[in-house]
Amino acid sequence: MGNRSHRTKAKHLDRFMAWLISAGGVLIIAAVLGILLFITVEALPLFRSAKTQELSPSMIPACDVVFLDESGKYAAAFDRIEGFKRCSLEQHDVIISDSKAQPPLPWRSVFSTNAKGHIVVQASDSRVYAAELQWNKHDQGMDAYLEWTGPFHTSASDNLIAARLIKGSGLGNRRFMKIAVLDAGSIRIGSAAIQDAIKWSEWPLPQNVTPLTAEWSENGSILFVGTREGELIAYEPNSELLRSDFGESVTALGFALGHNSLLVGGVSGKLAAYQVLRRENKVELQRFHNFASIDSSVNGFMESLRDKRFLVWSDSGLAIYHLTSEKQLTRMSVEIQGTAALSPRGDNVLATSSSSAKRWHVQAFHPEVTWSLFWNKIHYEGYVNPEYVWQSSGASDDIEPKLSLIPLLFGTLKGTFYAMLFALPIAILAALYTSQFASPKFRETIKPTVEIMAALPSVVLGFIAGLVLAPLLEQWMIALLAIIPITITFLILLMFAWSKIPKPFRDKFGSGKEALWLVPVLFTAVLVSIWTAPWIEKVFFGGDYRNWLYQTHNIVYDQRNSIVVGFAMGFAVIPIIFSISEDAFTAVPKSLASASLACGASQWQTAWRVILPTASPGVFSAVMVGLGRAIGETMIVLMATGNTPLMDWGPFNGMRTLSANIAVEIPEAPHQGTLYRVLFFTALLLFALTFILNTAAELIRQSLRKRYESM
Amino acid sequence: MSRFFEWWRRGSVWVWLSSAALALSLIMVAGLVLLLGAKGLGFFWPSNIQQFQLADGLVLRQVTDHESEGRYHPARIQLKVANRDIYGQDFRWIDLADIQQSSLPKDALFVERLEYGPFIGRLIQIEEYGQVLARGDEALSIARSRLPSAKAHNAQIKTLEQSEAGSLNTRIEKLRLAERKSELQGKQTPQTMQEAENKRKELHQQFEQLQTRLDALRAQSNSLTVTLETVDGHSKVIPLANIARLVSPNSVGLFGKIGTYLSRMWEFLSTGPREANTEGGVFPAIFGTVMMVMIMSIIVVPLGVLAALFLREYARDGWVVRAVRISVNNLAGVPSIVFGVFGLGFFVVTVGGGIDNFFFPERFPTPTFKTGGILWASLTLALLTLPVVIVATEEALAAVPRSQREGSLALGATKWQTLWNVVLPGASQGILTGLILAMARGAGEVAPLMLTGVVKLAPSLPLDATFPFIHLDRKFMHLGFHIYDVGFQSPNSEAAKPMVFMTALLLLLIVLVLNIFALRLRKKLRRRTGGSSF
Repeated sequence: MGNRSHRTKAKHLDRFMAWLISAGGVLIIAAVLGILLFITVEALPLFRSAKTQELSPSMIPACDVVFLDESGKYAAAFDRIEGFKRCSLEQHDVIISDSKAQPPLPWRSVFSTNAKGHIVVQASDSRVYAAELQWNKHDQGMDAYLEWTGPFHTSASDNLIAARLIKGSGLGNRRFMKIAVLDAGSIRIGSAAIQDAIKWSEWPLPQNVTPLTAEWSENGSILFVGTREGELIAYEPNSELLRSDFGESVTALGFALGHNSLLVGGVSGKLAAYQVLRRENKVELQRFHNFASIDSSVNGFMESLRDKRFLVWSDSGLAIYHLTSEKQLTRMSVEIQGTAALSPRGDNVLATSSSSAKRWHVQAFHPEVTWSLFWNKIHYEGYVNPEYVWQSSGASDDIEPKLSLIPLLFGTLKGTFYAMLFALPIAILAALYTSQFASPKFRETIKPTVEIMAALPSVVLGFIAGLVLAPLLEQWMIALLAIIPITITFLILLMFAWSKIPKPFRDKFGSGKEALWLVPVLFTAVLVSIWTAPWIEKVFFGGDYRNWLYQTHNIVYDQRNSIVVGFAMGFAVIPIIFSISEDAFTAVPKSLASASLACGASQWQTAWRVILPTASPGVFSAVMVGLGRAIGETMIVLMATGNTPLMDWGPFNGMRTLSANIAVEIPEAPHQGTLYRVLFFTALLLFALTFILNTAAELIRQSLRKRYESM
Repeated sequence: MSRFFEWWRRGSVWVWLSSAALALSLIMVAGLVLLLGAKGLGFFWPSNIQQFQLADGLVLRQVTDHESEGRYHPARIQLKVANRDIYGQDFRWIDLADIQQSSLPKDALFVERLEYGPFIGRLIQIEEYGQVLARGDEALSIARSRLPSAKAHNAQIKTLEQSEAGSLNTRIEKLRLAERKSELQGKQTPQTMQEAENKRKELHQQFEQLQTRLDALRAQSNSLTVTLETVDGHSKVIPLANIARLVSPNSVGLFGKIGTYLSRMWEFLSTGPREANTEGGVFPAIFGTVMMVMIMSIIVVPLGVLAALFLREYARDGWVVRAVRISVNNLAGVPSIVFGVFGLGFFVVTVGGGIDNFFFPERFPTPTFKTGGILWASLTLALLTLPVVIVATEEALAAVPRSQREGSLALGATKWQTLWNVVLPGASQGILTGLILAMARGAGEVAPLMLTGVVKLAPSLPLDATFPFIHLDRKFMHLGFHIYDVGFQSPNSEAAKPMVFMTALLLLLIVLVLNIFALRLRKKLRRRTGGSSF
């Protein structure tokens, strides 16, 4: 009886353990593979398109200018007839502000000069005022205040087309007003300090120019004018006019965040961005971004205060674009009477119509990111041409992060290339020697030594490379270049001498232990090259090779450069390639070698012509595994290069690789932000690259094994 | 000559060339280990102090480096300047040609201080409460004899600061957290608030008492001072308690030097860092490395063995299992930084954030688990090394002879009984090999740790006497990161370089010993079963 219960217990245990191990095993393997899934899920939101949600309409009637507060729940509206109002959009209460403080109503015109809430008003008596809006938080919600500056006197015939209150820079914070008026076919430019009379100067318009709209640049030095004839003109007093053909009548001008990019909209909905480039005494008005048309006459722009996105609207619809990526984030067809507004964060939109205002919430996750941002040349503000740039943070908020992955990928490939240049010949030759020529006993000691080489922590290698090798190489670069020819000469001499030695002696001490004999010879070669280096440098490079490099090739020598990385990373890769290819060489069936030797081929001929080709898939797979290691290596690159994202194949400067970039940037990247996700995306890239390389290598090895078995 | 060409034709040249490649690899490994050994182990040796007569005065220095005539400078020597508080620099090069005379003064003293780095000069006198006790040689012997007690006194102060003041601080912080928690849960009443306030007052009072006690102790320890003088006449008065060691390398013999060497090495291994990690020891880093590897091993072994058992014994062999096996294999080749990114995103931000929200809302915004810590680092490394253990275990399971299993099954044992009693014991050495290899890999990895919890200077060890003793949420120090940080991020990395060599040597030794052990084990195993890795 007892025996039986014991057996049932054992059976139950057996079944339970089978279940446990299967479930546990599946779970663990799923978890391990889940790494890939998790990283993908973290990176994917980068490519999510914006979500637009319509909110309850608000009671604000059509007006001329509207600003939204941070939350998008309050609006400050300006109207020619009714002046300034503060509205709560969700509670539908409208508070007309203290009218005494305002310029006398009705106004001739009112327009905004900046999404921060700067407006300019021309009152009915032709006086011009500027105002700055300020949001104040109180218990019930947000309150809006205006700080008025002015008046500046203009005459009744002056049609105000552009004005801007300029914040003086430097000491004293002097502010002054820049005004442009259209008067009987010519433009008059006025400038005045606060409380002073305006000093006017005339700008005689060129022929065939009918200004439709105008904007001052942020510092008031340039007046941009859009014309009916379809031209954009930048006027700077005392310098040449900059003109650019837009293609259709210009109906609206605006700026993106930072006021460096001028947004231009045309009569049929055409949209483009311009920038003024100053280089080498040349000033240029450059059209550097084009956007999808909104199909009807553009009425206005408003920029976000967070990033480079902006709102554009016409009578029949509105759209939000991102400047740099040229991406249309959202588009709505809606009848607009009056104006539209974008909240400072760029996530709330309001458009007025005759009786009420429609509102939307636009959740754009990463508006600046498109697939082409990573892989194509992008034209950034202030750059002459589209370029590949990685610069994840700027000096100020309105400099946008530049996230091209090409420089990083380039750096990765460059590092890998130099590492392979050093590691491949050494590893494969050493493996061939070990498997084919070394005596079995010697082999027994080589293999563990190389395996230990594989185990060296990369941080130690990086430390040696960065703090020991780099300064040494800087001093002995010429010696390094001299080593190769000198070593080869020495080898030939040694072999010549060897061939003169009696054969019995050769067979006794040489065969299979050549490497040991070579150690002292290599040492001598190194010593000789160090000894001759100063002489070589004097004769060929005028005494200082760095100077020579700079003067003849314009190359600046970086101490932590690609050669250092190549050495250190090669050091890490050699044992991997060595060990796999040695296995492949050894696994070649002995019958093949015997047949070759029996036909009279020498040992080397057999190794080179029979063993190597037969094992070549194995060597190939070894190279791929080595590549995978070099691509992902982090600490060595981090420590042995300057980590500058350059795009230059030269051996005397550094690089920044994908992996080192992650280590450098991710501690500073805000969680779930764009940079954070982009770094996850690069991690995914690394994962995919190495995984594909390793899988291919494994498949090749398996097929090779099958082939050997059939031989 | 013709024989030579025959040689060339038949490729013996290439045999030699390929052997040169191998020789180069071997030289590189040996050179690296030797370089680290020489530079690292030389760090503790108390070298002689030389006095040089230069054109612009006398200098008393330790020679740290010799350079023969180079391209940018004549023959020169590098000197350890020391006395950073007086001269502001650590090293100085002197051209050999400028030296008019050199000597080895017997009374030259190398003083290791707790602040401002070492001092090289002479001991003038020793004072207690302003009274001169002795001068010259006698002062030195008094200073030597009283140094241990001064140090002990100092240690006592430190213990007081750390344990008592530390525990008071923890109690005050706990009180605050308890209050915040009850506030969050809406259980706060005026009565509880009053109670907490009283308690806080009491604690603050205790804290002040402790402070006065500490101040008295400090004053006592500062009362015993020594006056030191540099060779060019700057003098410096410092408390004896601020001195770690007094060495007069010129007058002690070989055994004295060996004694200093060993005591310095012991200090390096057993104490914490000073002066922004550029002096003192690396004990917290050793401790952090070992503890992290231990936690990692505890996690990785059961997981790895379970997965391997499933793959080898339970899963039906087919293309799915083959694909999974290849994937697991290849995971070993995925860059470690990718695991770091995963660890940061998953463990720290997602899991840690979840734990913080759920269990520690009162500590917001100070993160508890939503920041790097030793647990997250260990888990990340466990994932990283899991493939190593799985592969090794699978190999070991496969190597158990079929006959043994069949014998067990034939006797009526169930599958699990066979596994537990026959297969697993047979495979245990292989599993151990896998574990040791995983430990070696884990000990040497740095990149993933940088994202998941390693810091340059941790205020406390992750294991101490305050409840709950093992603090898995704490950040920790690590030998590998120590190398990176001191060698590359420290403003004074030139002065710290010798120490980094020693740290690198230590890390290398740990990794090498583990690896050699694993290789030995595997070799023994292979010889028994005759397996091959290809």
